[in-house]
Amino acid sequence: MYRYDEFDQAFVSARVEQFRDQVERRLSGEISEDAFKPLRLMNGVYLQLHAYMLRVAVPYGTLNSRQMHKLAHIARTYDRGYGHFTTRQNIQYNWPSLKDIPAILEELAEVEMHAIQTSGNCIRNVTADHFAGAAADEVADPRPYAEILRQWSSVHPEFSFLPRKFKIAVTASERDRAAIQVHDIGLQLKKDAEGRLGFAVWIGGGQGRTPILAKKVKDFLPEADLLSYITAIMRVYNLHGRRDNKYKARIKILVHETGVEQLSAEIEAEWAHLKDGELKLPDADIAAINAYFAPKALAPRAEGWGELAAWKKSDPGFAAWVGRNVAPHRHPDYGMVTISLKPIGGIPGDATADQMDAVARLAVEFGHDEIRVTHEQNLVLPHVALADLEPLYRALLAEGLATANAGLITDIIACPGLDYCALANARSIPVAQDISNRFADPARQAEIGDLKIKISGCINACGHHHVGHIGILGVEKKGAELYQISLGGSGDENASIGQITGRGFEPDQVTDAVETIVETYLSQRKGLDESFIDCYRRIGADPFKAALYGNDEARAA
Amino acid sequence: MTVIWTQDGIVENDPWTAADGEGAGLVSLAEALDHALDNTPLGVQLAPDDDVRDLAPILDRIAIVALSFPAFNDGRAFSQAALLRQRVGYGGELRAVGAVLIDQIPLMLRTGFDSFAVSHAPTVARLRDRRLPGIDLHYQPSVDKAAAGPGYSWRRRAAG
Repeated sequence: MYRYDEFDQAFVSARVEQFRDQVERRLSGEISEDAFKPLRLMNGVYLQLHAYMLRVAVPYGTLNSRQMHKLAHIARTYDRGYGHFTTRQNIQYNWPSLKDIPAILEELAEVEMHAIQTSGNCIRNVTADHFAGAAADEVADPRPYAEILRQWSSVHPEFSFLPRKFKIAVTASERDRAAIQVHDIGLQLKKDAEGRLGFAVWIGGGQGRTPILAKKVKDFLPEADLLSYITAIMRVYNLHGRRDNKYKARIKILVHETGVEQLSAEIEAEWAHLKDGELKLPDADIAAINAYFAPKALAPRAEGWGELAAWKKSDPGFAAWVGRNVAPHRHPDYGMVTISLKPIGGIPGDATADQMDAVARLAVEFGHDEIRVTHEQNLVLPHVALADLEPLYRALLAEGLATANAGLITDIIACPGLDYCALANARSIPVAQDISNRFADPARQAEIGDLKIKISGCINACGHHHVGHIGILGVEKKGAELYQISLGGSGDENASIGQITGRGFEPDQVTDAVETIVETYLSQRKGLDESFIDCYRRIGADPFKAALYGNDEARAA
Repeated sequence: MTVIWTQDGIVENDPWTAADGEGAGLVSLAEALDHALDNTPLGVQLAPDDDVRDLAPILDRIAIVALSFPAFNDGRAFSQAALLRQRVGYGGELRAVGAVLIDQIPLMLRTGFDSFAVSHAPTVARLRDRRLPGIDLHYQPSVDKAAAGPGYSWRRRAAG
């Protein structure tokens, strides 16, 4: 993985000092909360319902054990002993005090981490496929390009006060695990006919109040042109993106209102001036960043094949965990292990300091010292020998981290909701917990199969409900919480936006409604092979609406 | 009270500032294009949605361009400044007006501003002491004259 050089270290230290000065001026009253707000946001500090919240960047979701131990230490020392992994592959602390934040940032800098641009109207933490560097189906590791973008976008003088936040995701497989079509810019690393690397570029995807899938503006952008082309996009957006209404300020609205042909022509015209300028990436620089991500030298561990079969036979719990949480690695003797942060009835994405320390130790012992954070709020050890899966499982089990539910109905994404968030209209966490408890039975979960439930506590859609197979949106109606359900959303290479079923449900009816939807699917599917989303796409919304509301109302709706 | 600041310090008797501290003598883009044939040098204040490239034909008539920040979080003028310097080739005085605050000034300097109309008292105080909160290491080229940074082509180090 990438290691800071002296320049990076000096930059991050200077950024900590800059922020320390800003916090001191705020605490002394020299700057107002209004003027402080964009400054603290650009360093990941939010003012929430009960306290400040600090969001720490995990660039493209990659961590080593030293960094994870530091995250545990921060949770223990400055917070209440836990942290919350987010859908942007970051970690949030919910209870730090403002005066401690400069000290926390200094501790993070010791392990090559920061909170730069984890919020604010700037280019946010660049995300990538959480299986990067390990997946069998990728054309190359996407993370070197995410790292180049991380560096280039840090404290960018021209693009720090954009109309709205700006999110970039990079994937390198046809199977999109980074949800690039719901990002402001989505990049798919690919090879052209001559085998050269470049990107398909998508712009204008996003969720929030107006969910829109991204449009492709370039089929093949040579890798050397990455920064010049993105600069052209950013400049056109910075000048012309709407600033009169924050709900219409994302680039997706500019794409929608201008038309993708015209906007992409404007981007091309700007790019023509920039393309052969100083932003052109020299091959040597691309190679140097790639060298940090050189594939791990993985020793053959063929003994794991036989052992795995025997272990699975003797322990159905282990077998179930391997079946759900271990995915094929490009090396046949290895697997990619998902560590579920979705225990039954738990808070999605939360991990205690002790659990973080345990994951860090296990990454060293079994995982070549590499950890990933997924946008589905789980952790991954990307390089584990099959021969090490059993001892790893035992150790995870002891820490409450061996829930065998990756991709199942209890692997729920949920935003913090009204329990923490100042923007929320409704609670998300208790809804997730209630659904998780209802479907706790592993046999029932296995029967249902792949099903993604995503829950947001307000229209900002941090819980990605628009792309949930079952999406749940909490709204406020006449002072009470009400939950709208949508069906058929998907954030992968076949991306789609979910459609609302009809009238909303009161908090104590949501889980019943989910159960009705699941039962409808089970009764309608062609067989075990037809997943929920495939079945929904075949039969449409009507059978589900009829089951939820009765036939008359379904027809009326 | 608005003061004018440049890298050389506070400017006294700025010709484009009236006695009350408000901008004086600055004309809009349309007026500038109308008066391009006059003999006196023009001071132009552009709106955030003006296209700076429209100034290209009258560049040699212009003594100062002011770009405005209607609010500190409205960053259009950063791109206008970069275009004016790098695309249009304007080399004269480029002034930031409006919500000009200490934490944004280092970014403004990088994008080509060299003159600042400041009314926020704590900002004025820090400028008088030359305490700018910028970072001298940059991860990207911009308009400012920065030295090539160590390591990679996109890095820069502040000159001086």
